[in-house]
Amino acid sequence: MSEPIEPQTPAEPEVPAGPYVYDYAASPQRQIVLPKTVPLPSLKAYRAEVAAQQAADEAKWQKMQADYETAKAKAEAEGKEAPKPPVKPVPRKDDNDMKTPWPQEAKDPDLLRLQELLGDKVEEVFEQAGELTCQVRKEALLETLRFCREDASLKYEMLADQTGTHYPAAKDFAFSVVYQLTSISRRKRLRVRILVPEGFEPESACSLYPGANWMERETYDMLGIRFKDHPDMTRILCPEDWEGYPLRKEYPTVGWGQRDIDLREDRGGVLMRIAMEKAGQMGINLKQPQAD
Amino acid sequence: MFKNEEMEINLGPQHPSTHGVLRVKLRLDGETVVKCTPIIGYLHRGVEKICENKTFFQGQVWTDRMDYVAAISNNLGWAEGVEKLFGIEVPRRARYIRTMLTEMNRLASHLLWLATHALDIGAMTVFLYTFREREYLLDLFEAFCGARLTTTAFRIGGLREDLPPGFIKQAQAFQGIFLDCLEEYETLLSENRIWKKRTVGVAKISAEDCIALGVTGPVLRAAGVPYDIRKAFPSAAYAEMDFEIPTRPEADTYARYLVRLAEMRQSHRIIQQCIDGLPEGPVMAKIPKILKSEVNEVYHSIEAPKGELGYYFVGEKGGTTPYRMHVRAPSFVNMQALSKMVEGRLLADVIAAIGTLDVVLGEIDR
Repeated sequence: MSEPIEPQTPAEPEVPAGPYVYDYAASPQRQIVLPKTVPLPSLKAYRAEVAAQQAADEAKWQKMQADYETAKAKAEAEGKEAPKPPVKPVPRKDDNDMKTPWPQEAKDPDLLRLQELLGDKVEEVFEQAGELTCQVRKEALLETLRFCREDASLKYEMLADQTGTHYPAAKDFAFSVVYQLTSISRRKRLRVRILVPEGFEPESACSLYPGANWMERETYDMLGIRFKDHPDMTRILCPEDWEGYPLRKEYPTVGWGQRDIDLREDRGGVLMRIAMEKAGQMGINLKQPQAD
Repeated sequence: MFKNEEMEINLGPQHPSTHGVLRVKLRLDGETVVKCTPIIGYLHRGVEKICENKTFFQGQVWTDRMDYVAAISNNLGWAEGVEKLFGIEVPRRARYIRTMLTEMNRLASHLLWLATHALDIGAMTVFLYTFREREYLLDLFEAFCGARLTTTAFRIGGLREDLPPGFIKQAQAFQGIFLDCLEEYETLLSENRIWKKRTVGVAKISAEDCIALGVTGPVLRAAGVPYDIRKAFPSAAYAEMDFEIPTRPEADTYARYLVRLAEMRQSHRIIQQCIDGLPEGPVMAKIPKILKSEVNEVYHSIEAPKGELGYYFVGEKGGTTPYRMHVRAPSFVNMQALSKMVEGRLLADVIAAIGTLDVVLGEIDR
């Protein structure tokens, strides 16, 4: 016979006394990991990367051969069997339907025409995934857009989209600003890109493409890039008194703007109890503040 | 006693005819609009920021919540954009099914537009008729993916599953009745004197202004520009479909109504072609379970019911999430045309103009 089991009363969850605040700094979502690389597609960078990879592979192969030679000499001297000669490693092929689009040299007549028109103001032109990219100097943006719009062989009448990207890891620039142009008559697309440092104000495209008005306001709102000669450079999606620029990489996904429960007015600890329960369910650490 | 001075009023943000939380600041001289300033951002959720912290598979769920009446179009844009970023080739059967569902979604979106637009202007009855047919379509979506509005219909590389049994039969039944239903709506509206008085010549915007402001979709086509991304930059299976781009030269609210009705007929044609020519084969490409991107930058756009819906992705080396994601929402860009459409016209035309632009605030504010 087994012993009778004593009925157990469930333990009351311990609720420490005192006011509680949400410890933002310890919240796992609040931890920001800034990117270490600069994912800026570019033909030059890609070529340099490929060359470096090839050089590394070649060095490895040379070392393998040299190791083999020494091992062979050593084996011969000791009168043992010679080791197997090394096999040149071949890159592993993945068995899937993916063909990564790498940047390629610009062959499209539009890009060549832009290069011809702008000369050394063009920093880079390349094609990737069937899309044309033209990177120009940040001061020559408006000139480039004017050529794109008004040149008879280009005729990009419509600005489809305008946006930017934050690159905190880059040294000589902080943002890229891209303009996606569409030519309705020629059924073509072109991307014009500039790289701007923090605080630089690119010229507004509103004089050429009036539709850029809201797009540039959104870019300013989200990334904090101000545009020169813009008719109304104010925030558009966030409230006017919003602090910070949400699409920058150092901006956390939670935390800023969250309201804390005012526990000073919490008579009887009802709000605190609710907060503790909620926090327990959500797996949030509620830290007891130190006494002053 | 009667002073001749301008008055400033707010239309919205809580007003039934602003289709959500749109606030329009209007400066009025009597009943004439002197200045119109749309103010947006009341529904901003930071979808772009959220998607930067979600994997490529998870992010698609957020696209449903942008244009919630045409979620499948948003899913298509996301899936194809990511596929372009990775260079994934989608099987032909999957592309056909995608095309069919997207066109069905276009019908559902246009039906909802017709219902609410007519309701704003004062024609109550159409609402009841169009929602009847929209229900058929939502049932089809439910049969396909289990959800009526927030579908997350596609997967990157194709579809999660093939069509359920009986789907084609149901779709055929819908195809059989839909053209008659369209004629019913036309009987109610096209020659209706009140409808014509409220729409003909109202909220005009020329083709030059449309292109300058970046306005796309039925608004641009009603101004006489035959620009449709399904033809200009075809994706999915649109290159294999036979359809026309309906245009009108008048560029007013009535022309946009006619263009959208004609577009519904073309969508009906495309769905029929998809059903008839549905190829056999797999519906999913071979892709790894974890997608790791290379340094790349793509802009992919599709023709959503409202206009050009574009997705801009920046991929980081070895990144499982997009480094940067941006949505070119058609309603956001089209909304800029509102001031041009209504300034100098009557207050009642503002309601017609908001309706005819067919905006969804979830997409404008993201």
